[in-house]
Amino acid sequence: MIEIACPSCQKRYRLDDKLAGKKGKCKECGQMMMIPQLEAEPVIEMAEIVEDADVPIQSPAAAPRGMSQSASPSAAKSSAPTNATLTGSTGNFNYEISQRPDFSIVKLDLPSGGKVFAEPSAMVSMSPSVKLEAGFKGGFGKTLGRMLGGESLIINTFTAEGGPAEVLFAGGAAGDVAYHRLNGNSLYLQRGAYMLNSEGVEVTGKWQGAKGFFSGEGLVLLKASGTGDLFFNSYGAIMPIDVTGGFIVDTGYIVAFEDTLQYRVTVLPGLRAGGKIKSFFFGGEGLVCQFSGTGRVWIQTRQVGSFLSWVHAFRPTKSK
Amino acid sequence: MQHELLAQPAMSVAKLTLAAGESVTCEVGAMIAMSTGFTVETTSRNKGGGGGLAKGLKRMFAGENFFLNHFTATGPNETLIIGPSLLGDIMHYPMTGGTLVVQGSSWLASSTGIEIDATFQGIGKALFSGEGMFWVKCSGAGDLLLNSFGSIYQIDVQGEHVVDTGHIVAFEDTLEFRLGKASKSLVGSILGGEGLVCKFSGQGKLYCQSHNPPSFGKLLGPKLRPR
Repeated sequence: MIEIACPSCQKRYRLDDKLAGKKGKCKECGQMMMIPQLEAEPVIEMAEIVEDADVPIQSPAAAPRGMSQSASPSAAKSSAPTNATLTGSTGNFNYEISQRPDFSIVKLDLPSGGKVFAEPSAMVSMSPSVKLEAGFKGGFGKTLGRMLGGESLIINTFTAEGGPAEVLFAGGAAGDVAYHRLNGNSLYLQRGAYMLNSEGVEVTGKWQGAKGFFSGEGLVLLKASGTGDLFFNSYGAIMPIDVTGGFIVDTGYIVAFEDTLQYRVTVLPGLRAGGKIKSFFFGGEGLVCQFSGTGRVWIQTRQVGSFLSWVHAFRPTKSK
Repeated sequence: MQHELLAQPAMSVAKLTLAAGESVTCEVGAMIAMSTGFTVETTSRNKGGGGGLAKGLKRMFAGENFFLNHFTATGPNETLIIGPSLLGDIMHYPMTGGTLVVQGSSWLASSTGIEIDATFQGIGKALFSGEGMFWVKCSGAGDLLLNSFGSIYQIDVQGEHVVDTGHIVAFEDTLEFRLGKASKSLVGSILGGEGLVCKFSGQGKLYCQSHNPPSFGKLLGPKLRPR
C-alpha cells in the first residue's frame, strides 16, 4: 500500500503497490502527480503518521534519509513533514490544521450540538449557527490557576446549534498549531500555549515551585487533563520529540510535555562534570530543561523573547 | 554529521545527527534542544585550533559572539537542534577547500574541519555597505550552516551582479564587490530608495536574503513606545 497526498489540494490516497512509479490524476482537483516508488521503510509508519496526525521526529519514518550527501549548496525545501496539512477525526469533530507552520489555522467541523472551548480571540471565522458564550469555566480555583498560567480568565464556548457547523481558530502570533488527544493522562503547557479543547478536558494552572521560578517561564504551568482533544499553539513551528531516556531543551523553547516525563531545570550538562561554569555565563544557552523518562515533548523553533529583544534596539529613544 | 532542515523557510531549524566523537561549533544561543549525550564547551577559539582572544574580539566586531559553543557527541546518533533567533531560513553549504565570506550575523554552525575567522573589508565598505564592519571568513572542508532573515536564494555570478546593501548572506571569495550607485546619477539613486548597492564581479556563487533586518526594524521602531 502506498500513501500519497495530492501536492495541490492535499487529498490523501491509498494506492496499490503495483502503481508505484506511475502517474496519476487527483480525483479532487485534477492535479497530475507522480506515485512514488516503494521505499524500504515499513508502510505501517506512514499510516501511523496519518492517523495520529502528529509527526514524531524520532520515528524511523521521519529519520533523515541521505540528507548529508547533498551534492550542491542548497536552501531547498527538505521533504520533512513540518509543512504538511494535518487532518484527523476525533470522537468530537473533524479537524484540519493547514498553512503550517508559519500561519497555521485550525478548522473544526462540529456535528450538530458539538461543543468546543477556546481562549478568547482565538476564533477567526465560523458558521452563523454557532452560538458563542463567554464565561468562567471550572469554578474559581481553576480559573485562577489558568490566570496564573498566563491565560485569560474567560473561556469561550462554541456550540453548533441547529446543524453541523465549522469554526476556524488561529493563534495570536505567526506560528504553528499542534493537536494532542488526551486519554486520561495529562499534558503540561507553557504559558500562553493553550488554544482550545473539546469536552472532557480540563485546563488549569499547576504550581511548579522552584523549578518554574528558575526556568524563567513563570511559576505556574498550565495543566490539561482528562479525556478529549487539545490544541495548542506557539510562535515558530512546533516539533514533537519522542523522548526515550533523556532529552535536553532550552527552557524558552518548550511548548508542552506529557506528564509521564520528569523534568528538572539545570545548566548545560558540560558544566556539572568539570564544573566549567563558563558555558552558563558566556555560552548563551542559560538554563535548560532536562527531561527523563518516556513521553513526548513539543518544542517551538522560535522564541517571541528573542524577537522582542531584537526589536528593542530599534525603539526610538526618549528626548529629554 | 548528518543534517536535516525543517520548517523552512520562515521558522527553519537544523536537526543535526552526530556520530560518537564528532563535534560541531555553533553560534552562542543557537541550541534549541539536544539529546543527553553531548559535552558542551564554550571557548573563544576554534575547536582544537588556534585563535584565542584576538579572534574572539574580531568575531565580536563581526556581529557574532565573542564565544563559540562546541558540542561534542559522546555516543552514536546524538541529536542537536539549532536555529537562529529571527524568522528566516537556514542553508547548508558543503565546503570542499574553498573560502566563503559570510555576512557577520549569518553564520550559524560549522563542523570542526572549518576554520572561522573575522575579516575586515575596508573602511568604505564597512561604513556604507549596510553590513557589519567585519565579515566571517570560512575556509576548509566540512559542513557549514548559514541563516538569513527571510529566504535565501542563490545566484551564479558570471561577470557582474548588483545586490542592494543589507541583502548579502555570503559569497565565494572568487567574487569581489565594490560599492556603487544604483543609477547613473546620485540623486536618482537616493530618490529611488536604493542608495548604494554592492556590485559583485568575478565568477562564483552569491547568496542573498529576501529581506533585510534594518528595514524591518525601521518599520517597527517608530511605532513603539520610546525606551
